[in-house]
Amino acid sequence: MNLVKQTLASLGTTLRIMSYNKVGFAGFLMVIFIVLMSFVGPYFIPLDTVTKVDKIFQSPSAEHWFGTDHQGRDIFSQIIHGGKDVIVVAVIAGVLSTLIAVTFGTLSGFAGGRTDAFIMAITDVMLTIPQLPLLLILASLMKFENVTSLGVLLGLLNWPSLLRAVRSQALSLKERDFIEAARSLDLGTTHIVFREIVPNMMTYIIISLALAMTGAIYAQVALVLFGLVPFSGSNWGVMLSLAWVRGAIFFKDSVWYIMMPIAAIVLLQLSVVTTTRSLELVFNPRLRSGE
Amino acid sequence: MSQADDAFVHHESIFEKPPLSLRNVHIMYKSRKGAVNAVRGVDLDLRAGESLSLIGESGSGKTTLGLGIVRLLVKTAKVTQGEIIYRRDGLEMDVGQLDAQQLREFRWRECSMVFQSALNSFNPVLRIWNQMYDTAKAHGWSDRRAVREHVLNLLRFVQLDAERVIDAYPHELSGGMRQRVLIAMSLLLDPQVLILDEPTTALDILTQRTIIDLLRRLKDEQRLTMLFISHDLAIAAELADRIATMYAGKIVEIGSADDIFYRPRHPYTLGLIRAVPKVIGEFEDLVSILGSPPDLVDLPSGCKFHPRCPFATERCRREEPDLEQVGQDHAAACWHWQAVEEEVADHPLHQSLPAQTIVYSGE
Amino acid sequence: MATTFDATQLPVEAERKPSRAAGFLNSFLLRRLLKALFTAFVVITLTFFLIRLLPSNPIELFIQELMVQYSMPYHQARDQAAALFAIDLEKPLILQYFDYLGGLVRGDLGTSILSPGTPVTSFIKRFLPWTVFSVGLALMISFTSGVILGLLMAYRRESLLDHILTVLASVLSAIPNYILGILLIIWLGVRWGVVPVAQMRGSLSPGVQPGFTLAFFQDALFHAALPIAAYVLTTVGSWMLTMKSSTISVLEEDYVTVARAKGLKESRITTAYVGRNAALPLFTLLAISIGFVVGGSVLIETIFQYQGIGYVLLQAVNRRDYVVMQGVFLIITLSVIFANFFADMLYSWLDPRIKFGAAE
Repeated sequence: MNLVKQTLASLGTTLRIMSYNKVGFAGFLMVIFIVLMSFVGPYFIPLDTVTKVDKIFQSPSAEHWFGTDHQGRDIFSQIIHGGKDVIVVAVIAGVLSTLIAVTFGTLSGFAGGRTDAFIMAITDVMLTIPQLPLLLILASLMKFENVTSLGVLLGLLNWPSLLRAVRSQALSLKERDFIEAARSLDLGTTHIVFREIVPNMMTYIIISLALAMTGAIYAQVALVLFGLVPFSGSNWGVMLSLAWVRGAIFFKDSVWYIMMPIAAIVLLQLSVVTTTRSLELVFNPRLRSGE
Repeated sequence: MSQADDAFVHHESIFEKPPLSLRNVHIMYKSRKGAVNAVRGVDLDLRAGESLSLIGESGSGKTTLGLGIVRLLVKTAKVTQGEIIYRRDGLEMDVGQLDAQQLREFRWRECSMVFQSALNSFNPVLRIWNQMYDTAKAHGWSDRRAVREHVLNLLRFVQLDAERVIDAYPHELSGGMRQRVLIAMSLLLDPQVLILDEPTTALDILTQRTIIDLLRRLKDEQRLTMLFISHDLAIAAELADRIATMYAGKIVEIGSADDIFYRPRHPYTLGLIRAVPKVIGEFEDLVSILGSPPDLVDLPSGCKFHPRCPFATERCRREEPDLEQVGQDHAAACWHWQAVEEEVADHPLHQSLPAQTIVYSGE
Repeated sequence: MATTFDATQLPVEAERKPSRAAGFLNSFLLRRLLKALFTAFVVITLTFFLIRLLPSNPIELFIQELMVQYSMPYHQARDQAAALFAIDLEKPLILQYFDYLGGLVRGDLGTSILSPGTPVTSFIKRFLPWTVFSVGLALMISFTSGVILGLLMAYRRESLLDHILTVLASVLSAIPNYILGILLIIWLGVRWGVVPVAQMRGSLSPGVQPGFTLAFFQDALFHAALPIAAYVLTTVGSWMLTMKSSTISVLEEDYVTVARAKGLKESRITTAYVGRNAALPLFTLLAISIGFVVGGSVLIETIFQYQGIGYVLLQAVNRRDYVVMQGVFLIITLSVIFANFFADMLYSWLDPRIKFGAAE
């Protein structure tokens, strides 16, 4: 109960401090907007699946806000329907890699000694292996038909740099008085890590989550774009891939087809990243005074 | 030096005039709470060959004043009024009027500085030699062999193993060694004036001792003109010819070291001295100054010391006193300096100089 | 001159200073070298077991493919697979592993499945140099300009320039590199037609011979320009922002104030005192960046049809040429390990504090 209360309180403070940075807060609101549009929007705007030969590659109009694709279908409805998968994969991957990074990062920083050396050795090796090539090879060996398995795979690969950051944060927290106190009361490593260190790293964990999510968006769109995960249906990555393959880049009116998913992906990335900048204010008071 | 020379203005009969004169200097800086009056009208002469100690609690404006002399204040701070006059060989100039190039040449060549934090005063990625040579070269002295010879001599003067230290990186030296290197570096260009800002504060007690001995030799052997900025009366007692007490951005008392220690005429100076334990003394003799230093954004009316002063009267709340002569070469800014004189006569101060400061209120 | 005894006078360092040999054993570089070798070993082992032990391992997949497509009997398919992977499937796994290591030592990475008779090493020799060239040049341009712009932003803090550059840096670093590549093609290449994208495909124009000629270098740069632009634009932003915040904290350091007090020229203070110290933390981030850019080369080279090793890898993945995949992945990873070690060497040369592990 106390943990929940503490978390809520720090969340309230977090929101208030976040609003100090207007750009960051705008990014935060944009993230919420995109999430709402992607999850609530589909209930109001049906996906246009009817081929209309007379409406191929049209530029935006009152009827089709974002124009039409190579089969004359409405792009706006595809954008509305295409965000859900991207966000779900990002959240699964982000939460998983943050969980790994926070658990083992704090353990590594706090336990020290052999545990630390072991965890860091694995992390360093993982950090050195280029993620995308590894991902491509794994994707060619396994089949990812659903969103969850892709999210899990991305989450399992994307933690090393976060873990390092969490560890160094844990190392500096370790020296603080309240941790000393908990240790002298002999409260045990698990208690200290999850009851003392993790709550005090809440804001930092949220930043890690945001960064892990941008990494997951980057990787999943790449996999879909290069045809390595056989996703079908409406997904921003699939739209981008189709538009690229169908030569949407060559005509003045069709360029909208490729620009719309690009805009959606970049806007999502940008808002998550700017939200991080706002969250950094929460995390680093020194930046706050510079405002 | 050519451009800085141009800044000198010929002036008749100014021999024996002090190398450095501050005239009504005001320094203000911006903060979130408002304008901070860090220095409020300081008049001070630094006489040739003397060592003058500026003492006061933190927040009294002494460090700001020291940085203001070489114009190293942070961007938010500004000298709003007054003149800083520097004189050499019968020529004089206003440091405030120097352009960027002249100022660059004035610094270290004419007036060098030893900082509080010697530990962080060195660029961590350059060898001591490179940092020395950088300094010489910036002032047009680029004969490597001659500079190196001179640096080695200076390092020997500060009692370091010169051959080894010169090619060391800062992190390879202890705190005390770095402070010595910094002192050696401050002498590199043979400046006329040396400003030392809390030169021993960051050091442990034993190292402090050796640095004080070194500074003493510097004063006795080199006859440098020095300005010591310190909150530590013990250092002032050992090293200063004259002492000036600063409170809330103003000099409230100035006089010879003897006058200040045995015949203080300002209640604040008296308080500072009483807060220092005597070498042989009783605990009950120790009196700390009540209250805390004033808020520099919102200063009290009248005499800025009156809220903490046992001698304060109605007049002190209304009017701020200026420095007035209270003896030979001794001035204090207090309406009741005679009352302080009686107090000192009734309860004479220590016969021996203080050995070491303790932490007193506000510090 | 000195008559008084002084405890701190002469450095005790002489006694504490380790002997040359011990110093080297403790040294930062040696530890980094051991780490690099260890990582290389782990990656080599991992690659082998990834190929052999995964439930749907490529050898089994390939054998099944041969059986289905060419209706080969199992043992014949198996023999062909073994020959291509340069692995004797009859031997125990551990001996196969040693054979594989032995092959690596001899420079044998197997033979391509889809271009029979072409050893993987010949792909690497042909395509790797282009990736090293384009990625290496891009990293250098990005790092240097990021450092310079970040320094400028910190010096002109809160100015219009700072605000514009900050927005630009944030936007650029939020765009995935392959999307930026696509945008470059759409707008510069096709819609505005400023850049001849079609002619820039490949790593060299036909007829240009590699050698130390101006024509060769010009042509190589011409073909690498777009990939380099994509790498630089997507990475320079984070260098700028990191350098800016690092510079802001260095500007508050005492040694910068002392440098000013010493009357040093502003140019000297900016480069040797502020710039060098502010750039140091960036070197520790270089490792992550190298891996990221090299990994991204797979996508960028495919988008621009630039024939480097990343292009080869994606081709191999799409065509399921597992032997090439395995060999190329290993080489890419080993290049990253080598690049990281090189970055460490540079770092230890620039920061004397870490040579004896003080700052580790």
